[in-house]
Amino acid sequence: MAAPILRRVRELLKRVDLARVPQRHRHKKKWATTEPKFPASRLALQNFDMTYSVQFGDLWPSIRVSLLSEQKYGALVNNFAAWDHVSARLEQLNARDFVNEAISHWQLESEGGHSATPSPACSPNLRCFTFARGDVSCFPPARLGSLGLMDYYLMDAASLLPVLALGLQPGDTVLDLCAAPGGKTLALLQTGCCCNLAANDLSTSRTGRLQKVLHNYVPQDIRERIQVRVTSLDGRKWGELEGDTYDRVLVDVPCTTDRHSLHEEENNIFQRSRKKERQMLPMLQVQLLSAGLLATKPGGHVVYSTCSLSHLQNEYVVQGAIELLANQYSIEVQVEDLSHFQKLFMNTFCFFPSCQVGELVIPNLMANFGPTYFCRMRRLT
Amino acid sequence: MAALGRQVLDWHRLIPLTWACLGRRTFHFGEQKRTVSLLRKLTTASSGGSLDVVACVGPKKCVQEPECRTNLVQCLPEKRAPVDRVSLEPEEVITSLLDMGFSEAHIKDLLSVQPSASPQQLLSVTSELILLGLNPEPVCVALKKSPQLLRLPVLQMRKRSSYLRKLGLGEGKLKRLLHGCPEVFSMRQQDIDAVVKVLKEKCLFTVQQVTEILHRCPGVLRQDPSELEYQFQYAYFRMGIKHRDIVRTEFLQYSMAKVKQRHIYLERLGRYQTPDKKGQTQIANPLLKDILSISEAEFLARTARSSAEEFEVFKKLLAREEASEEEEESDPSDAEEEEEDEEEEEEKQCGTREAQLSPGAALPLVYRQSLETRGCPYQEGGVIRICPQQSTAVRDQQEPGRDSSSLPQGPSAAFDW
Repeated sequence: MAAPILRRVRELLKRVDLARVPQRHRHKKKWATTEPKFPASRLALQNFDMTYSVQFGDLWPSIRVSLLSEQKYGALVNNFAAWDHVSARLEQLNARDFVNEAISHWQLESEGGHSATPSPACSPNLRCFTFARGDVSCFPPARLGSLGLMDYYLMDAASLLPVLALGLQPGDTVLDLCAAPGGKTLALLQTGCCCNLAANDLSTSRTGRLQKVLHNYVPQDIRERIQVRVTSLDGRKWGELEGDTYDRVLVDVPCTTDRHSLHEEENNIFQRSRKKERQMLPMLQVQLLSAGLLATKPGGHVVYSTCSLSHLQNEYVVQGAIELLANQYSIEVQVEDLSHFQKLFMNTFCFFPSCQVGELVIPNLMANFGPTYFCRMRRLT
Repeated sequence: MAALGRQVLDWHRLIPLTWACLGRRTFHFGEQKRTVSLLRKLTTASSGGSLDVVACVGPKKCVQEPECRTNLVQCLPEKRAPVDRVSLEPEEVITSLLDMGFSEAHIKDLLSVQPSASPQQLLSVTSELILLGLNPEPVCVALKKSPQLLRLPVLQMRKRSSYLRKLGLGEGKLKRLLHGCPEVFSMRQQDIDAVVKVLKEKCLFTVQQVTEILHRCPGVLRQDPSELEYQFQYAYFRMGIKHRDIVRTEFLQYSMAKVKQRHIYLERLGRYQTPDKKGQTQIANPLLKDILSISEAEFLARTARSSAEEFEVFKKLLAREEASEEEEESDPSDAEEEEEDEEEEEEKQCGTREAQLSPGAALPLVYRQSLETRGCPYQEGGVIRICPQQSTAVRDQQEPGRDSSSLPQGPSAAFDW
């Protein structure tokens, strides 16, 4: 007797429109109701105040205000789309190609016989537009062109410098050890010099983004011809996997991403839960750079780059890796001087004058690019 | 005739008054038996010292001040006078003005300010101002600057004067107030009330502080009350300036844009820190006078120690940031495009709730820390607290609706966000 009644009741209840609890009233445990009292971005800022005020002294306030303000972008023109039209359009917006400007300026100077500066050996075919110093205009978002490819890629213009410094030459085999999310990898492809390109990143989700970028910007036949290979392996293993293989290697290591850490809360490396990870970063960076060096052919070139201002992640890592290779593998690596390179781009970027090795682009309100550190090395043996 | 008591006090000069305005005044109060005596003191420019102005407002009893000074003017209400007084001859006007202390030159100026105004009108307006404690010279200056004062109905003048007296704004204070805000007499009572109400009830200034503010920053009367409140909240919560200092440094006279530009610039440079709960900072903040009251060039050279071109760029960037934040507030549903539908719906719901809380206000009434945490690091004392592990998956964009639940009830609940 009870069962049919129960069934009836259940049916009735189903029909009654028990109003759904509105979305906003559902308890959502995963979201805090207020912001954390000491968010990771504040921890990051505190950390920077402590270390960089010592490291940079009087320069630190102007770097600090630039880091906390909106950054400036550059537009890397996609050579595989209608780059001449795109360039003309960007010129109309009052932007100019800083790479072209720098190189033509140098050519003028060397023709005038001013000094016997050697050719800075920049990677060719890179076109990147920026607005003038002090101009805070923004680029409109990139659009799909007629060939089904995007017309330009918006990135921090200073991130192009490591690729320029690598000095690709036609026919090079290139390795990008920590490739995602793909800005520098795209730039490597834009030079048109790669015979082979291996792009790797530990994180599979980020490799997915890299694939998307390549898909949107590079036509398929080029990708096939160049044999772009995207992998998600641990970069530290590359010495064993493919030792002595590549002409040019770019090691753009994971770092504290200074600018990003001051603005974004999600996955911020300055979270207390990631403290250990952060403290192990320099060691990870040394390992990655060593692997990159091991993967280079003797006589090949490696560029190490980060987007952090910290000594510990920049010069110390370079010196540490060179020492490691000398001691453990008896491989000689020489740091190459980039001061001529720096002079080329002095008008667009603000460089820190006293780096022991390598070059550091510091953010400044007039040219709010960076921070970017890069150092070029040559494997001698 | 109403039996009006007469207080006989020491006086140096007794001037029989036939002023229309005074006649009307007795008519006002004349109905009931009370001791009404208008006592006004005109101090000469040289005499300093505190003045005790007798306020005679409506049905209140008047306070007598048996002070004797030179040029004591006492009104002796003789008898009830009808409202429409006999029109005064220009000579009578001039004599009255002379009696009030105006010089010949002043009187000439006054008469030329607005020739179309009736002499009676001129007399009533000027006498009101004199009664409020202004000296003849400032009266001339004020009337020359804003001739529209002469066109005001005398009743309104009187009402406003008594209100100002009640607020404690007479004599020298009024001079500055008139200079900074000539429309103090012509603006609507409810507008002034709104401003005073915001200062007293929302910002919790004391009555003396409100008077001081109105005296020193007359422009306050022209501002929108909610903007005023926002400016106060910015000073109190974000910059950590207490009531006393807000009044003393005349903070409310500066435009919000200027305050934000200079303050946020200093903050991002690392040269200004918001004090924590105990009012401490890790660095010595520059004095307010070194931030706001000096010229931009000096500010950049001395306080910010930065270059002019960098500051220009910063101002542009800040303007853009503010514009995009305002856009976000007014249209929160746009902000979360890449998130799942579920979250987007929640955004929209909370967005409308926020709109209900602050209808029509373009500016956030509740100071929302979430929108302005960038570069504002040391609000918790700059000490790394050992706090329990917070949920790390916090969304970037805290929607406004949430924070309003922790609305500070006043400065006492200042840091409980």
